[in-house]
Amino acid sequence: MDKLLRKKSNIILFLAPAFILFTVVLFFPICKAFYYSLCNYKTNYPIEFAGVDNYVKLFTKDETMKTALKNSIFFMIFSCVTQLLFGLVLAALLTNIKKGRNLFKNIYYLPCVLSSAALGLLWMFVFTPTLGINKMMESLGIIENYADGPQWLFNTDGFIILPIIVISFVALWQYVGQSMMLYMAQISGISSDIYEAAAIDGCTSTQAFFQITLPLIKPMVATAMSLNAIGSLKFFDLVYNMIPEGFLGNRAHVLATHLYDQAFKFNKLGYGCAIGVVLLIMCLIVTFLINKFVKVESYE
Amino acid sequence: MKKKILSLALTAVMSVSMLAGCTGDTGANTTGGSNGGSTGGVEEITFMVWDDLEASSDLITKGYKDSIDRFNKDFEGKYHCTPITTNLEEYYTKLNALVAAGETPDVFIVSPGPNLNDYVLPGTAAKLDDYLNADGWKQTFTSDAVFAGGTYGAEAKDGAGIYAIPLNIAAACVFYNTEMFADAGASVPKTYSELLTACDKLKAKGYTPITISAGTAWCLSMVAGYLCDRNGLNLQDVKDHKTDWKDAKVINAGKQIQELSQYFQPTAAGDDNDIATAAFYNGQAAILIQGSWAIGQINGSCSDPDFPNKVGVFAFPAVDGSSADPNRVIAKSDSLAMSSSSQHKDAAVQLMKYFVDDTAQKYTAEKGGKIPVTKVQYDESVAPPELSYVMDVFKNASATFGFYNESLADTEAGSTFDNCFVDIFTGTDPDKALDPIQQYYEANVW
Amino acid sequence: MNVEIDNSVVEKDKNKRKVVHGLIYAFLIILALIYLLPLLWVLLTSLKDDAILMTSPWAFPEHLMFENYSYAWTMGHLGTATLNSFIVCVTTLLVSMIVGSMAAFAIAKLRWKFSKLTLTYFMIGMMIPIHCVLIPLFIQFSSWKLTNSLVGLIIPYVTFSLPITIYIMVGFFESIPNELFEAAVIDGCSVPRMFVHVALPMARTGFMVTGLMSFVSNWNELLLAMVFISKEEVKTLPVSLTKFVGPYHTNYTQMFAAIVIAVIPTIIVYCIFANQIVEGLTAGAVKG
Repeated sequence: MDKLLRKKSNIILFLAPAFILFTVVLFFPICKAFYYSLCNYKTNYPIEFAGVDNYVKLFTKDETMKTALKNSIFFMIFSCVTQLLFGLVLAALLTNIKKGRNLFKNIYYLPCVLSSAALGLLWMFVFTPTLGINKMMESLGIIENYADGPQWLFNTDGFIILPIIVISFVALWQYVGQSMMLYMAQISGISSDIYEAAAIDGCTSTQAFFQITLPLIKPMVATAMSLNAIGSLKFFDLVYNMIPEGFLGNRAHVLATHLYDQAFKFNKLGYGCAIGVVLLIMCLIVTFLINKFVKVESYE
Repeated sequence: MKKKILSLALTAVMSVSMLAGCTGDTGANTTGGSNGGSTGGVEEITFMVWDDLEASSDLITKGYKDSIDRFNKDFEGKYHCTPITTNLEEYYTKLNALVAAGETPDVFIVSPGPNLNDYVLPGTAAKLDDYLNADGWKQTFTSDAVFAGGTYGAEAKDGAGIYAIPLNIAAACVFYNTEMFADAGASVPKTYSELLTACDKLKAKGYTPITISAGTAWCLSMVAGYLCDRNGLNLQDVKDHKTDWKDAKVINAGKQIQELSQYFQPTAAGDDNDIATAAFYNGQAAILIQGSWAIGQINGSCSDPDFPNKVGVFAFPAVDGSSADPNRVIAKSDSLAMSSSSQHKDAAVQLMKYFVDDTAQKYTAEKGGKIPVTKVQYDESVAPPELSYVMDVFKNASATFGFYNESLADTEAGSTFDNCFVDIFTGTDPDKALDPIQQYYEANVW
Repeated sequence: MNVEIDNSVVEKDKNKRKVVHGLIYAFLIILALIYLLPLLWVLLTSLKDDAILMTSPWAFPEHLMFENYSYAWTMGHLGTATLNSFIVCVTTLLVSMIVGSMAAFAIAKLRWKFSKLTLTYFMIGMMIPIHCVLIPLFIQFSSWKLTNSLVGLIIPYVTFSLPITIYIMVGFFESIPNELFEAAVIDGCSVPRMFVHVALPMARTGFMVTGLMSFVSNWNELLLAMVFISKEEVKTLPVSLTKFVGPYHTNYTQMFAAIVIAVIPTIIVYCIFANQIVEGLTAGAVKG
């Protein structure tokens, strides 16, 4: 038995396909991305090694990169905070009702499985002044003319511009179901004995939520938060489909759209790789921080 | 342990090279099928264009489809052309992707300027002089001047010569609704201040004076280009760093954009080109500043058959007090380039000829409303009424110049310029809003 | 006396509870409307004609324009795109399950020194955003002539589905008691047979979870497909949808029809298997 399971030919047979795919399609390209990020590389032209030029440009000369970083970090913080709050509230409410729990749960989860590209177009239309919300407000008499309402997707005032805020709410709408489900899964895993014991001690359900439920689901908070944080750093589909080409004078860029534009619209492949590397490093740091921060807290 | 790692690494490397080998082989086979295709003796070529040939309602696009259909019919059994279609926004992205994959389309459409540079300088596009000179083809064109955009010097990889064939010329003009102008008592403006007066009168009558798209940035940027030019900016001076983007002429153009913006439709910031143009042919706005390709779009989409007769055209007005020549016109020509790696150059050249033969060029003028590039005689009475006005503007032009965003150092500079003016339009102080283009030139050009 | 007070307290408590419950339900229903109304609006609008959409976008359509759908399906190339998406996702699903579960089996049940290390190597994949490898992958696949082909999409999709598949399947295989395998060996079973006849049937739930995750994420993947694919014949659904408006098309109602076509299959499948899907995906995410 043991001998059979130790046979090398078996191990190689079973592992090789995954290992090769993974190495060729993921590992080598990452190494290459690091290399290209140090080069001037355009399709049709030869590669030139340029040292850290791309990174220097990225952090000192590229205004759009600053905007993209700002917007991406805003998305990340917004989604971590709101998904935590709304996810928890929804999970708590849903575990407390009996009738229709499944129905509500399934409705809220629905957008998670739908294509962001399609939903992005959908919300783009909802926020288009001539078609969507503004037109409805006009017919309800809230505003006189659809053009007077907020320019949901085109207003470029402020530090964080309105379209970015609108998109972050759409993202909340789309993905809060995921957080809710994660928390619900964890809550339903808590033994009812604990709650019964607490109730005997005169604990109200609100108190029970804060003193029993919350501490016990902390590990899940770390998981859900990492998912949200990395997901929002990678954000592309919604922004790309809701913001017109040109990204409102580059003010609505996020990291992924900036990468796409630089690499594929302006044909600066090396520069695009540098943005990709920055994105990768940010993802690693954020995951590390969240895990460390939230886990340490749970040991207190 | 070391041995194990080594053997593992070895197997990995071996399998990788095997995989690479395999896919390389299959890849070669597929190209054999699509590019080298001598299946049944028919030479298969590809043609890439920036619109959907089947679905588009644009009349110029329909003309392209007609040329390809005629080509395929006339050369049935010998040549066959398969179009690759995409849309304008991602056209160059997709074209670059195909070039990178070694699948450059045999013939592709391209705008002269930095976009064309990207294919001529590295040698992706073929030199066409030999074909043009071979059988008097070149003499069918109106003049050698039409090749200006496609002519390169020694900087091209394959040496000086012509690298692109123009298909049509479009001039950017101001289209206006004559009914609305008459109703408001506005007259055709010759100067910027007269334009403001006309807009005031239109506004007083309750019309939206100007429809424009800032959502599609090049539309707004075209007006900005006109204003810069009318203020007397010389792009060559900017390129040579004799002046810069903070020049008072550019700032003034920015201020004029802001001044004009009070006459734009309220949703200009978000409207794309289609919506903005639709507002004109649906009678919601009085003035549309567009290239003459809009004629094909207007006449192809408007529901009122009489509408083309209500449209008037005038040249972009002069700026008061500026010494700049007010008769310069923004012109743009769609051009065709051929892949230098094409296996079927004869077929590709034949296809290009179908785009500039008499049938196609007549169609360009009579249906598409663009200015033909050959000496073809077209019937002015059936051509769209707007075209004759555009021809008037074009004939009076002292010189033509390109779109600003296609005349700058490179495509990214063009895009930066577009964005700066969108920014100005949204109310940012011009001096501040021009920072990005100024910095871009400092970092990449000067 | 005492009993009476107790009763009124209970009664009060009950009333309070009722009010609270009412409020909760009201909140949940309003929220559900926020989720469903936009989808219904798209469905309604997709059946209007353009002129009516522009004048009264929120009204019911007067006559139903099913042409919008046939236009989006044929001229908008959504028919081809749906087929492509289907081919890509199903192939990816099958291949990633086979390849992933094989690797998971080697890691969980075969005995060798580096199994833990290998698992870590695969797990790194979960942290890597697709954006980071997009450009090198594009260059590499271009030179292999794999862009503009469905195979060129399937390979990266399989790879990106591997880490989560392996992780989840390792969990499932580890929970299978070793005695079962020992019995199989005594019966003279080889390792591959053991994998097919003992391990796989025991891990059916795992397949469902990983299959769902891979299918949903690949069905919706936009960025990689957009970069890799330029030809209409091989575009997947999200790509066709994203650039559905050409530079000269103004026909919005057809775009709405396109959105409906893109989401309806998912919604139908979701309605039938909602509970399994939600639980499966959550289980996957928890483990991830």
